[in-house]
Amino acid sequence: MARVFYPIERFAPVPPTFHLLPFRFTRLNGKELLVNEAGEFLFVPAGTVQRLTNEQLDTNTELYRDLKAKHFVYDESSSPLLDILATKVRTKYDHICGGTKLHIFVVTLRCEHSCEYCQVSRQTETRGEFDMSTSTADRAIAMMMDSPARAVTLEIQGGEPLLAFDVIQYIIPRAQRQALEKGKDLDIVVCTNLACVTDDILKYFRDEGVKVSTSLDGPAFLHNKNRPRPGGNSYEKAIEGIERSRAILGMESVAALMTTTAASLDYAAEIVDEYVRCDFHSIFLRPISPYGFAIKTRHRTGYEMGRFLEFYKQGLAHILKVNRGGYRIAEVYTQILLTKILTPHGTRYVDMQSPAGEAWNVLVYNYDGDVYASDESRMLAEMNDFTFRLGNVHKDTRRTIFTGDAALQLFQASCNQALAGCSDCAFQSYCAADPVYHHATQGDMYGNRPTSGFCARNMEVIKQLFSIIEENDRETMRILWSWVTGESVRNEVVECA
Amino acid sequence: MDQSESICTPDAPRAVVEIDRSMVSAEALLKTCYWFTRDFVCEIRNRNEHVAEVFLTPRNPASAFELASAKNAFTTSAMDFALREKIEAKTSGIRDLLLAKAFSESGVLEDLPEGVFGDTVEEMKPGGMFKILSNPKH
Repeated sequence: MARVFYPIERFAPVPPTFHLLPFRFTRLNGKELLVNEAGEFLFVPAGTVQRLTNEQLDTNTELYRDLKAKHFVYDESSSPLLDILATKVRTKYDHICGGTKLHIFVVTLRCEHSCEYCQVSRQTETRGEFDMSTSTADRAIAMMMDSPARAVTLEIQGGEPLLAFDVIQYIIPRAQRQALEKGKDLDIVVCTNLACVTDDILKYFRDEGVKVSTSLDGPAFLHNKNRPRPGGNSYEKAIEGIERSRAILGMESVAALMTTTAASLDYAAEIVDEYVRCDFHSIFLRPISPYGFAIKTRHRTGYEMGRFLEFYKQGLAHILKVNRGGYRIAEVYTQILLTKILTPHGTRYVDMQSPAGEAWNVLVYNYDGDVYASDESRMLAEMNDFTFRLGNVHKDTRRTIFTGDAALQLFQASCNQALAGCSDCAFQSYCAADPVYHHATQGDMYGNRPTSGFCARNMEVIKQLFSIIEENDRETMRILWSWVTGESVRNEVVECA
Repeated sequence: MDQSESICTPDAPRAVVEIDRSMVSAEALLKTCYWFTRDFVCEIRNRNEHVAEVFLTPRNPASAFELASAKNAFTTSAMDFALREKIEAKTSGIRDLLLAKAFSESGVLEDLPEGVFGDTVEEMKPGGMFKILSNPKH
């Protein structure tokens, strides 16, 4: 339903002609799906676009009024409300304003795990030369604080960053002091497998307001298979660490992410159930990144995107079932896309931004001072591909990094509005460009969409979401809206009753 | 479109799609082919000034049914790209102005987009809530 209250124009004489506003369209489930520049959409009967372009649509119909209300047409009795539409477009693309928000510090490459698909190309846990030096940390903090963003996030990762806890203790107070001096809000997150965590470390995090993000790939048999470590007890360590972290930091300060390996594909429901058992309320069904060691070992860990999409659909169906049973748990990728589809807002998730979030919204400071456009860019460098190395904190400034050849080449391929295959796509305003992914998988930052795993994934997921929206099952939509708004399903049920 | 593939032999089973060139532009046809290149080698030949033929040779063995489906899908897709061109032609001026306004930090456009765009309803309301810029050059 596009309207609740009829505008006054409804009661005015029927306009003889109308004009189009810009939109894109696709065919879905026997209908045409129209999407305007601000991402607002409308399902219309097949043939409507033809009648619109031929200006043969009857202006005295509900369909016409819906099209007018949703900014697909305007006529002499109405304004195109260009300022409103422009505001909506600006809101959708708000992520390009304000400068780099996410700053990832790779404080060490050391790790005591030996995951085959490891995204950070780990070193052994005793080799201290792979730790970030204090001088590099100083320069990286200065570059982070040089970002015009009013609020920045400092994400500390590795390797296993807790193996370099002294570096963490060096960085955090300096970053906090400089943020205070510059009037910036500072969020700090440490990404850790929690195997080495102690109560003293957690108390330090609590005192400094640090959040923890950990890895949980599913039940013990799957997690331990994916994440081998001495003792074969990665899962047990993770669960124990999650419990201790929650006890000291609080429930809201501990999050978990999963990686989908080939071994995961048959266990979508079991993985979701594990997250429920551990009392998490979000889960991110994400495919393995085609970078770093994942490329070397893809015969063991990799899979076709089609197989992942089956996994995703099974997982989403199970998550919805769990929600119908009264336990609220959101699937994060669905949540990101639905926010883009159902609300005027965009997303802070840098992998799904256009212009691409790489460099623009995230910078990675490696242990050796090299600056990369994204974590994935750094993984490529571990495979001796330095395409997305933007500079080094000891040699460059923020200005030289953003005006260097590496950044400019990246930016040229960053807008899906100007990419072959994307420029006409109805899902353009919900999707992204991801030049790093396409460089890694196709050897071309611009990418070939018909053979792109990124495109296949997003096309399929977005189509599935629109099918759900079009079906408009009340209970399902209530659950999905609760993911978008962050409100509990139970509260919404009470409010609607 | 891609004529170098060894699969594209005279004997290979393929679908042939006839396209009315007055309905579908060369650009729309190329855009259609672009999306079919994952599964087909696409070769375009102009039969005459009115009709183009597109030869779709599958990259993997395909049944007669699959070829017929591909032919129908290609025709539908080509017509859709032709429609998109029409929409673009009718709305590109407004789109340029819309994006210029959306991303103008100051709210004042230094270089107004080409084209004419007037909002008669809003122009009749000097105190109207929504001020629409029109191009003074026209």
